[in-house]
Amino acid sequence: MSGNTEWNRRSFLKGAAVLGATPLLAGGNMAETKKDDGQEIPSGSVPRKTLGRTGVQVSAMGLGGYHMGSVATDQLAMEIVAKAMDHGVNFFDNAWEYHDGLSEERIGKALRGKRDQAFVMTKVCTHGRDKKVAMRMLEESLRRLQTDHLDLWQIHEVVYENDPDLIFAPDGAAEALLEAKQQGKVRFIGFTGHKDPEIHLKMLSHDFPFDAVQMPLNCCDATFRSFETHVLPEATRRGIAVLGMKSLGGSGELVKHGAVTAEDGLRYAMSLPAATTISGVDTMEVLEQNLRVAVNFQPLDAAAMQSLRDQCRFLASDGRLELFKMTKKYDGKIGREQHHFPTEQQLPL
Amino acid sequence: MPQTSSGTIPLRNFGRTGVKISALGFGGHHIGDAPDERTAVQMVHEAVDGGITFYDNCWEYRRGKTEVWMGAGLKGRRDKVFLMTKTCPHGRDASVALEMLEESLRRLQTDHLDLWQVHGMGFENDPELFIRKNGAAEALEKAKKEGKTRFVGFTGHKDPKVHLAMLATGFPFDSVQMPLNVFDHHFKSFEKQVLPELNKRGIAALGMKPLSGHGDAIRQGVITAEESLRYAMSLPVTTTITGIDSLEVLHQNLRIAQNFTPMGEAEMNELRERCKPEAGDGRFEVYKLSLRFDNPEARLAHGFPIDTQQSEVKDMLGEQTNTGHPFPEKLC
Repeated sequence: MSGNTEWNRRSFLKGAAVLGATPLLAGGNMAETKKDDGQEIPSGSVPRKTLGRTGVQVSAMGLGGYHMGSVATDQLAMEIVAKAMDHGVNFFDNAWEYHDGLSEERIGKALRGKRDQAFVMTKVCTHGRDKKVAMRMLEESLRRLQTDHLDLWQIHEVVYENDPDLIFAPDGAAEALLEAKQQGKVRFIGFTGHKDPEIHLKMLSHDFPFDAVQMPLNCCDATFRSFETHVLPEATRRGIAVLGMKSLGGSGELVKHGAVTAEDGLRYAMSLPAATTISGVDTMEVLEQNLRVAVNFQPLDAAAMQSLRDQCRFLASDGRLELFKMTKKYDGKIGREQHHFPTEQQLPL
Repeated sequence: MPQTSSGTIPLRNFGRTGVKISALGFGGHHIGDAPDERTAVQMVHEAVDGGITFYDNCWEYRRGKTEVWMGAGLKGRRDKVFLMTKTCPHGRDASVALEMLEESLRRLQTDHLDLWQVHGMGFENDPELFIRKNGAAEALEKAKKEGKTRFVGFTGHKDPKVHLAMLATGFPFDSVQMPLNVFDHHFKSFEKQVLPELNKRGIAALGMKPLSGHGDAIRQGVITAEESLRYAMSLPVTTTITGIDSLEVLHQNLRIAQNFTPMGEAEMNELRERCKPEAGDGRFEVYKLSLRFDNPEARLAHGFPIDTQQSEVKDMLGEQTNTGHPFPEKLC
């Protein structure tokens, strides 16, 4: 870790900005961050990458849907989406269960009149329940997103060890994906999860025609229960597009604990062979920070990647910065309920 | 597993050492929940009289209270029991572990342990920290050579893979402790992944959490305490350690253990099938999934945040000596 206070202070502020609201982040700090950077977003655009065997082109950085619901006002959310699109972002992540629908509603509103310029993804949140529940959620998502079809519909939060069994049970969520695709309501299908590479591999072992799979990818993951090592190559081998998330640990943990700067953390994730890196944005400052990295992005070379892995190795080695793998902290309320787990209040970590 | 009936609870072989211990073990953590030392001492006396010979403890339980109370209970009975406690370096140096050993011996009022285990292997880098130069492995070796403990082992409740990685260090463990219950059979299973390996190597297998930790499955009526304990005791283990916090629980456990007949494979399978729908996602084995059941000292030594709502953390934070740093601070 650097002994340079200036470096630490700056990286902390940026890290805090990326995760949005931590109790330590006051408005004054945010202003200071902005003043400190003094850098313009370069002219140009976020590069496009191919979404697996679909051949569709998506922006190498995607806008995370969860944080859309955390943006202070509807108006600011609209401005964030517009600015992201101006710089070439076309991939929009979401989930039926984010902020009780607010995240989907905001994206729906922001994309009005621009739907055809966007690649819209949302996720279905059956958490083990049957096809009927999934199809009902799909209709609701389409309504909130003000569209007649999704570009990608994924099964959300496959994080419990018996989720694959429940999803592939007769009348389970897997059948819903196929039906929605047949009906033309979704172009592509996939699943997501942040917990364990083995659960992802179990999902893939069903040889189901997934078009995409979403997973945590960051420079600590390479050391600890690694999706990069175990799942990314398998998905790629199958022609399934990989979508990266949690590039900074989910809530900026990697940055806050000094493993990596926000910029390097994003660069690492974006340099992996994933179709896009989904990053949550809840203020204009965070968007600008992300765009400064993503516009005209050039992947890091192998040596630079290895050096970032090495730099993070010690802090990564027991999973302390990847709490989504280690604890219940990032496991959603509905999933816990469906699996009869204690609530967040009863089980805070 | 060969069994001979001696006293009232079956005795079993402690690995390949030729030593025999009772099929039910007295868990040390919960003795700290007894209302006072007098009751705790009485619990130990009745347990010894009832045929329990295996006594579990740990340097970091309740800031030493459980070792002190058990030591008081075993006074004059030390030679009748097989006494185990654990050391808690959590990745720190051998010297930390050895200072803990001296303190444990003093509290337990004995000059030697029968078994000394490294506590709470649960983080993925624990094996690497254990076997490194100056790591806890050197402390186990030294304590055994100096006769301060007869046998050595390790414990953990988190992940079979961490246990297997500990075995892969090649260190000559005499015993390994792990959660074993019917829910474990279906979820990140120590029974399936670790137990056969121990039996193959002749390492004594010590089961814990026979009621899957805090007994939620029993409270919710999925399984009875007796079924749960009998299942665990019917596995090919040396002993099943269960927490005893009152004379009532002691009496219940003694009754089950003294009348113990192992379940047959068919009966075990029936129970496994019955519990399967509620076992696959780990809902009754939160100790494998959440930091909530991890040890606060281990968390601090690993740089994890601590959950101040957890009762054990509250105990810890209530102590004047605590500074919010890994305990004991002077050893870090």
